[in-house]
Amino acid sequence: MKFLCLSCDEGMKLETASGPHDGSLEATFVCPRCRYRVAMLTNPWETQLVQTLGVKVGGRTAPASPYEQVLGSLLQSESEGQGSGGDEPTSPACPFADMLGQTEPTASLSSVLWTDAARVRIERIPSFIRPMVQRAIERYALELGHQLITDGIMDEARSKLGM
Amino acid sequence: MPKTYKDLAGDGGSNIVGQVTEQLARLRARMQDIRNKVAVVSGKGGVGKSAITVNLATAVAMQGAAVGILDADLNGPSIAKMTGVRGQWPVITAEGVQPVRGPAEMRIMSMDLLLPHDETPVTWRATTPTDAYVWRSSMEGTALREFLSDTIWGALDCLFLDLPPGTDRIAALADILPGLTGIILVTIPSEVSHLVVRKSLALARNLKIPMLGLIENMTGYDCQYCQTVGELFRPGQGPRLARDFGIRFLGELPFDPRLARSGDSGIPFVAIHQETMTGRMFQAMARELSVAIGLGQRNTQKEGSDEISLFKLR
Repeated sequence: MKFLCLSCDEGMKLETASGPHDGSLEATFVCPRCRYRVAMLTNPWETQLVQTLGVKVGGRTAPASPYEQVLGSLLQSESEGQGSGGDEPTSPACPFADMLGQTEPTASLSSVLWTDAARVRIERIPSFIRPMVQRAIERYALELGHQLITDGIMDEARSKLGM
Repeated sequence: MPKTYKDLAGDGGSNIVGQVTEQLARLRARMQDIRNKVAVVSGKGGVGKSAITVNLATAVAMQGAAVGILDADLNGPSIAKMTGVRGQWPVITAEGVQPVRGPAEMRIMSMDLLLPHDETPVTWRATTPTDAYVWRSSMEGTALREFLSDTIWGALDCLFLDLPPGTDRIAALADILPGLTGIILVTIPSEVSHLVVRKSLALARNLKIPMLGLIENMTGYDCQYCQTVGELFRPGQGPRLARDFGIRFLGELPFDPRLARSGDSGIPFVAIHQETMTGRMFQAMARELSVAIGLGQRNTQKEGSDEISLFKLR
């Protein structure tokens, strides 16, 4: 989108860009000759179009951050979806900021204990699949309220989980 | 007479073309270390596409290849659950997002790994809830591009993309990922499924997307008690469909309840049931695929070739 100063017959220059605020992007343009200024205000659909392209009106001042659109545009809960909407999609207060950077959220899994015999059995499983098997058995045990994994629990898990 | 759009230099000051070019450059740079990008698609849902993606990828990884899986089914992600990585969270850095490590050291990324709760649906911010649905398709395209370009996949022999069901998904992916090695189509031996998968095959052919092969799932059922394969649908449909379109028939898989249970447990079936009929079929298909995409040599055994029939295995 470009703006032409009709008085000067000259293209106007982008001066500032901000938003979205209340579903609208704001950009001001100025004529380099007569300094006449106009403001462009986008409607919600135009704003959405820009957002879905993953581009910034006014250009970028910094490189895009990883998963910028995914993290900035996902609603984090149903209750948020019932709100007013139209919040800035690239807010620095990313809803996932607390999640990212962690590797194991479920402390309960690490609290499960293994008997020596069960430990020996799990270590016989090929290493490329061992972490998944271990987690599956721990989850199975926790669901049944067991904190200690024994031979018996392993047998049960094998049968129930189709291992 | 006032000037026209083309008479004015530049694009209005936002450098949109430059921004889009930068997005594509980022995508290309990330993809250059990935030798093969293989999409697994189906016409209809419920044919076992995700289970096949996980097990085929695991079988390829077990052959020694460096493998990744991108769960491109943003609204119904299942790969994280099926590979047992659900509950792990990706680490974000300035260079990108580290995928989580799954079985056989596979690198895995899924929308499921970013959602805070089990019941959280994938809903995009928009001015109104209605708009969120109207723009869903565009947002999904952008999200898929970011998953491809911003994930630190590293050097991979093969990145598998598990696409959501639907013929239109193939065109959308080809648009986002020009270096797509090819697609694998999954069907079941029912006329309904074949009717839809034919549309996918025709579309892929029109778009000149290489077709790496066809897999028929649920071809009979593997009876663990009498050691035979019983019929579920009319047999022999998959090979015929592949022949009609001149594509490789990668193989047929019997219905095996253990395969469904392994998806729930997060342990790929092929990793722990290598000696079963289904396990052998997955390994044979992985060998066949590896040959097709230049990762390995054709196995001299007949198993896994175009001529293999599930009903002859036992």
